[in-house]
Amino acid sequence: MRKITMLLALSLVLVLTFSAAAQEDPITINFWHAMGGHNLEVTETLVERFNEQHANIEVVPQNTGTYNDTLTKTESAVRSGDAPHIVQIYEIGTQVMVDSGIIIPIEELGREVAQDDSFDWGKFLTPVSNYYQVDGQLNSMPFNSSTPILYYNKDAFKEAGLDPNDPPQTFSELKEYAEQLTIRNEDGDVERYGFTLGIVGWFVEQMVANQDALLVNNNNGRDGRATESYLDQEPAVRFVELWKEMVEEEIMLNPGRGWDGAKQAFLSGRAAMMIESTAQVTNFSENAEASGYELGTAFLPRPDGVDRGGVIIGGASLWALRDHPQEELEAAWEFLSFLTEEAQQVYWFEQTGYFPVTKSAVEREMNNQFFAENPNHMTAFLQLLLSKKGAPTQGALIGTFPEVRQIVESAIEETLQGTMTPQEAMEDAAAQVDESLQEYNSLYQ
Amino acid sequence: MKEQDYNSHFLVPYLLIIPSMIILIFFLYWPTLQSFFLSLYRTAPFGSRVIYSGLDNYKKLFTDPSYLDSLQRSAVFVLITIFGGLTFSLVLATFLNKKLKGIHIYRTIFFIPYAISPTVAGSLWVFLLNPVAGHVNYVLDFLFGFQVPWLTNGFFAFIAIIIATIWKNMGFNIIFFLAGLQSIPDSVYESAKIDGANSWQIFRKITIPLLSPTTFYLIIMNILFTVFQAFGIIDIMTQGGPANATNLVIYKLYRDMFVNFRPGLAAAQSVVLLFLVLIITFFHFRYGSKGVHYQ
Repeated sequence: MRKITMLLALSLVLVLTFSAAAQEDPITINFWHAMGGHNLEVTETLVERFNEQHANIEVVPQNTGTYNDTLTKTESAVRSGDAPHIVQIYEIGTQVMVDSGIIIPIEELGREVAQDDSFDWGKFLTPVSNYYQVDGQLNSMPFNSSTPILYYNKDAFKEAGLDPNDPPQTFSELKEYAEQLTIRNEDGDVERYGFTLGIVGWFVEQMVANQDALLVNNNNGRDGRATESYLDQEPAVRFVELWKEMVEEEIMLNPGRGWDGAKQAFLSGRAAMMIESTAQVTNFSENAEASGYELGTAFLPRPDGVDRGGVIIGGASLWALRDHPQEELEAAWEFLSFLTEEAQQVYWFEQTGYFPVTKSAVEREMNNQFFAENPNHMTAFLQLLLSKKGAPTQGALIGTFPEVRQIVESAIEETLQGTMTPQEAMEDAAAQVDESLQEYNSLYQ
Repeated sequence: MKEQDYNSHFLVPYLLIIPSMIILIFFLYWPTLQSFFLSLYRTAPFGSRVIYSGLDNYKKLFTDPSYLDSLQRSAVFVLITIFGGLTFSLVLATFLNKKLKGIHIYRTIFFIPYAISPTVAGSLWVFLLNPVAGHVNYVLDFLFGFQVPWLTNGFFAFIAIIIATIWKNMGFNIIFFLAGLQSIPDSVYESAKIDGANSWQIFRKITIPLLSPTTFYLIIMNILFTVFQAFGIIDIMTQGGPANATNLVIYKLYRDMFVNFRPGLAAAQSVVLLFLVLIITFFHFRYGSKGVHYQ
């Protein structure tokens, strides 16, 4: 009897030691991301869930500031040799990451390193995987995706005698509606603008795609490196012209560069319509409910008589960095693949307003009537799904995209200040972009 | 008692400066050298390609109209900010030099802007100058019936960052002016009054000349402040815009380095800035003690 007790005790000690050892050194995966505020909490919840389910892996999330900061910090981390395993990079960083030589394409990671045969590579929504596919393979894991839509205040529409269920579809309608929605006091000062839009390069890119046109040559840089920009052509110039006209006629508020001013103007009722990311649907809906007005959403307007194209996926994706031991890469893959599972996708979507990136998550939201109850989420989704497939809506690949965006923003500012005509400003921008492309491409010859 | 043998201790002074030399070498001289070398190369993002390009970055810089513009813009900015800032601070310092009840509280209040971070200062001004809900425009509209497109028009954005920078550095300038004012002996003022000088004459002929060492020091410090520290305010308020109207040298450098992925070009700009600082420092040492009236 004593022997058996002894044996039991010994084996218990053994088991405890082993399990303790297993718990003692889980593989640490550093995950850098740019999600702030509410989205930070959602991201951390997802990580916690993963860590609870995986005793041998510990993902450590770290907020590294804005998208741009994250890219910069990754660069210096790579140089000093302590790069994270997974990093969230905005969509316009795609080309520079592909060229960086520090990443491992996600398809290679899943198929060859982790040998995960059960992963379904066809599970992503086509517009999403189209964007992140370069040279025939998926380079990064789609994560938070969004597109721009038109938001409008239905109560303001009713007040102005417009049909709240008939939002503007064309540039000329947008202008007409904005005129009717603008309210001036007896001194002629504008009390409410019909429309507002922050100066953000992304909107120009989207408006060009919405006219089924390319932003740069070589099929938006998808068939080879882009060498020439099309910013000086009709689709982009036309939109900047509309922008200038509407600001000059004081039916559109110019809130300056960036996102915050326009959002503030719309939410406080100073403007009746605006274009913003679909990632704001939840936020705007809550605000509308709290302030007691009805929120409407619509597809982006197009110039009259132009073929419809569609929207490009925006947001960010997750990149794996190559320079780590095999077992850490496998653990990183485990986490990335976990994020694309239905439960996580649905949670992410409902909490943040970013699209789910997989088909099954969309199906589940259809079945549980989420879209029926939230028509504004539906608008965002349909616009994406109804986008024409092709290089224009696949999105441009440009190595110096962050710089290009700033060049475009500067050009819009020149136009709105009246120092240049839209055509001149966009020609100037196109020349600067061409130079930037040439400079970048020459590094990789 | 043993005589001090200085010759046997020739190592001591070197040992004593070693700690500060280590800091200077690692945090100042080494990075300076590095940026000089970096400026001779073109580097791809993440350092995957490094191409020697000689002085190309410098050539590119000085043939780039946008860089020359930003140099010129910075010069105008520095001149206006220093002239405006020092005048304003001097006037405030004279008021704060009065013997009032609770003067310490007023002095503290005026010093606060200097103590807060540029980011907070910038955010505060964005808030005040906001075109939608800004207080400044509200007051202007209420009093005079017009609004100013503060941050969306190039000219006014430039004025806005000047105001914010002056406001931000005001505390520092006032403190030094106050110290300077208080070191002027009352006897000088008294004899001037007896000689029948009015207050303007006293200010012009006595206060200003006797303050000149302080003023000279402040000018040098303010040049450095406005050139380098304007960054935080610009980044928050205008991001160099609209249409580059507030894109000063330091902001352009930041953008080329951290947004445009051009470390070589950015390094060249930092070398140019280094030379400018060297020139200013030279003037500081050369003329700091001459041509300025010390008591």
